[in-house]
Amino acid sequence: MAPYFLALSTNHWYDIRDLSNISRVILEGADKILPFGFVYVLAALLGFVASFLIFVLPSQLYVGVYGERKIIGRMQSRYGPNRVGPLGLLQPIADAIKLLTKEALTPTKSDRLVMYVAPIIFVMPAVLLFAVIPFGPRMVFANIPVSLLYFLAISSVPVIATFMAGWSANNKYSLFGAMRIVGMTISYEVPLVMALLGAVVITSGAPFGGGVLNGMALQDMVLWSREFHMWVVFVQPLGIAIYFICISAELNRTPTDIAEAESEIVAGFLTEYSGMKWGLFYGMDIGYAIAASAFAATVFLGGWTLFGLEKWVPPWMIFIGKTHLFYFIFIWTRGTLPRLRSDQLMAFAWKFLLPLSLFNLFVITTERMIWSDQDYAKGLIYLFAVINAVLAVGAVYFWARFNGYKPENTPIRPRLVKNSGGFVPVGSEVKS
Amino acid sequence: MDGGGVVFAFYVLSAVTLVAAGGVMVSRNLFHAVLFLILTFVGIAGFFVLLSADFIAMAQVIIYVGAIAVLVLFAILLTPRAGRNNGETRFAAPGILLSVCLAAVFLFVIHDTAWQTGDLAPSLGVAELGEALLTTWVLPFEMASVLLTAALVGAIMLARTPQEEAEDALA
Amino acid sequence: MTQAIKSEPFILNIGPQHPSTHGVFRIKATVDGEKVIDAEMVMGYLHRSMEKLAEERTYTQNIPFTDRTDYLSSMSNNLGYCLAAEKLAGIEVPARGSAIRVIMAELQRLASHCMAVGAFSNDTGAWQTPVMWCFREREKILDIFEVTSGARLTCNYMRIGGVAFDLRPQFEPMVRKILKDFPPFLQEMEDLLSGNEIFISRTRGVGVLSPEMATNSSLSGPMLRGSGIAWDLRKADPYCGYDLYDFDIPIGYQGDSFDRFIVRLEEMRQSLKIIQQALDGLPSGPHSTQVPLALRPPKGEAYARIESPRGELGYYLVSDEGPSPYRFHIRPPSFINLSALREMTVGGTIADAIVVLGSIDIVVGEIDR
Repeated sequence: MAPYFLALSTNHWYDIRDLSNISRVILEGADKILPFGFVYVLAALLGFVASFLIFVLPSQLYVGVYGERKIIGRMQSRYGPNRVGPLGLLQPIADAIKLLTKEALTPTKSDRLVMYVAPIIFVMPAVLLFAVIPFGPRMVFANIPVSLLYFLAISSVPVIATFMAGWSANNKYSLFGAMRIVGMTISYEVPLVMALLGAVVITSGAPFGGGVLNGMALQDMVLWSREFHMWVVFVQPLGIAIYFICISAELNRTPTDIAEAESEIVAGFLTEYSGMKWGLFYGMDIGYAIAASAFAATVFLGGWTLFGLEKWVPPWMIFIGKTHLFYFIFIWTRGTLPRLRSDQLMAFAWKFLLPLSLFNLFVITTERMIWSDQDYAKGLIYLFAVINAVLAVGAVYFWARFNGYKPENTPIRPRLVKNSGGFVPVGSEVKS
Repeated sequence: MDGGGVVFAFYVLSAVTLVAAGGVMVSRNLFHAVLFLILTFVGIAGFFVLLSADFIAMAQVIIYVGAIAVLVLFAILLTPRAGRNNGETRFAAPGILLSVCLAAVFLFVIHDTAWQTGDLAPSLGVAELGEALLTTWVLPFEMASVLLTAALVGAIMLARTPQEEAEDALA
Repeated sequence: MTQAIKSEPFILNIGPQHPSTHGVFRIKATVDGEKVIDAEMVMGYLHRSMEKLAEERTYTQNIPFTDRTDYLSSMSNNLGYCLAAEKLAGIEVPARGSAIRVIMAELQRLASHCMAVGAFSNDTGAWQTPVMWCFREREKILDIFEVTSGARLTCNYMRIGGVAFDLRPQFEPMVRKILKDFPPFLQEMEDLLSGNEIFISRTRGVGVLSPEMATNSSLSGPMLRGSGIAWDLRKADPYCGYDLYDFDIPIGYQGDSFDRFIVRLEEMRQSLKIIQQALDGLPSGPHSTQVPLALRPPKGEAYARIESPRGELGYYLVSDEGPSPYRFHIRPPSFINLSALREMTVGGTIADAIVVLGSIDIVVGEIDR
């Protein structure tokens, strides 16, 4: 029964290429001692603890908090954290201790219960999201057939928590943040799902080891990449671009962080939060960003595969590397781009991204039909990759032109006049 | 229903759903009522999971929690003085009467129906569901789409200001 | 049938404690959703009664006060006040003193515009990166000030009749380094912001100020030049020998926030040009004339104006032959530039209002004095 990909590693507990071996040994041992049923509880705990230890916690603290501050610091020609511990490595821990000991203020006229519950509701989905992410061939906690939908469903919950936070604080700035995040989520969910549908369409139904792949399951998407030596990103370049823009809008990352736009509405829905309540929002914001990166790494970047290298390098390390690579783009945009206005963001989602994602879906569906008619020939998918790359660039260019949008190639400079005088109409200035 | 865990989960989910549904009615604050409603939706999604209908459960969360609840929250934002506590209403007594009648009808129907208890429900995959929607049930599916489109157009009509309408007439 | 959905306007206090009010300034905005339908300015949180205090101190003692009005361009403020006092007392400044003043004023313009451009890009949401780059360059200028005058921010360097001390030997190489470092930095800023689509879409057409409106509100500085009016006191009413130097006046196209931003960037280039010329032709001789400490100017009044980084900075002095001015009045450019805020913000969103406020480049110390 075991498909050939399971032969990537041995079944010995010390084989770190697949950490599920060691957990299996632990659980089998525990099953002999514990009464019936409790081993399932233990399995869940073990899965969460293990994924936290090898992935979430290091990523959260050392890529999310420390790495982000350090990298952005370097982009801004300063050092970043370098005081606490060697190279400032203990900075995230110091921050956490500071937040824990700080008083969490609650405004008198706020809706106390809702304000108290909001951060808790915000944290739960962030943890749940990692349940379906495949870290390796057998390292997936819940390999359910609709894991992609599960991810989308769970990631739509935190919006409600942020709305609760914004509404309950009884602050006008918080309310603005809540209003903006709700409007933005409705807009960006649509192209996001359309873009992911393209990835589902191309991976669904491809033959694999006697059966067919189910594109709704994240593990099958990774197997598709392994089978065809091809990441989904190569056939879906437009898809990953739309995914990145939409997810950064939903995550409130900088080019689109209108819900907590610091210079405009102070801190948006977080204005009245302090102490660890704020800390939970902050930490889980990074948690969501890492989850989104992990999801992108799985769907678009081939998950734990790396063109055969996964036989020697532990697959989970490859996966973590890809996740952090994707997360770096979030940091990069944060350090570079100014923020859009909320109406511009809405217009961009509906007028630009949605038509493009529909076009992308149309193209990939047509190709999928041709592909299945040709019995999933391997050469054809490489042809599609080339075609789609050309089409993606062309579609973005022509749709931008159609919308009357002309990118500036050179920085605009003001007019120069020699002498002081009155009003100089455009075009009549005397060049010096 | 096999195993103690599933039975336990069933009762917990039932309690959560029912308490949340009661909360929707009892709470005086519109915003709290919506939050309880969302909890009810989540509880129902849990039931679908218990019935091994993964896809329906995920769709329930995406559509009801992710989309409809957010739209209701949006509607609250547009409601004047939505944060107030609602006082007594004279519709309480007729409302209770009506719901008692409705509950009676439901109980009667539930009691009267011969429930088929198979060994195992056929596992309904996404592919089968999609196939059924686009072949056998294509007409209701399309009708629902037309209805939603009409609602969308209606909403746009309602939201437009007279000035915008005048501008459109000129264009 | 089509009754528009009614919404309730409410008042949003932007400030006095808000990340983007550049100090303790408050806009009382009436908003309808996110749209600003009215904006009222509330100021005075930083009032220190400088004009009255100055009437009790001698002319020389007043110079440190001028540092503290516009604390981002203390050199320019020193210069404006000293010019007014010299005009009142009829004192000539030696050529070297004037040239040093020009270099200092232009360095101050660079530092102040760095701050303005950086803070403005921060207001549009570019998370700290441009402002940090600006601080990096501004730091070098502040180092020069420290070497020359002993202080970085409130320099107190100009004196009636010249400048306090002559230049240090390390001054010239430091300024030469600035002249070398700045053009790449400006190019970097242009690449990052002037050609950035998000930045352009946030600032183009936001806070448009027509030339008529700009002149009627008596605006000055980059605000006026952004609206396409070529007006620069360094050309129109030259002081300190600015007519000796060759430079251009940058003007904008349509008077929006983006124009004001690019005008500031270009003004930094022109300042570099002036510094280069002044440094190359720095005359030798005394840096200051001898002026009695207890200066008693003849009865009369004097008004001197300079082009400070923010616009026309005027000092008005009245003397009754006493050791301290009878009346001391400042025409602060930020305060008058701010008067057009309401016209520019009403009709836009809150996000636009913040961008407009950033593009005015206010210094609250100067507004409230």
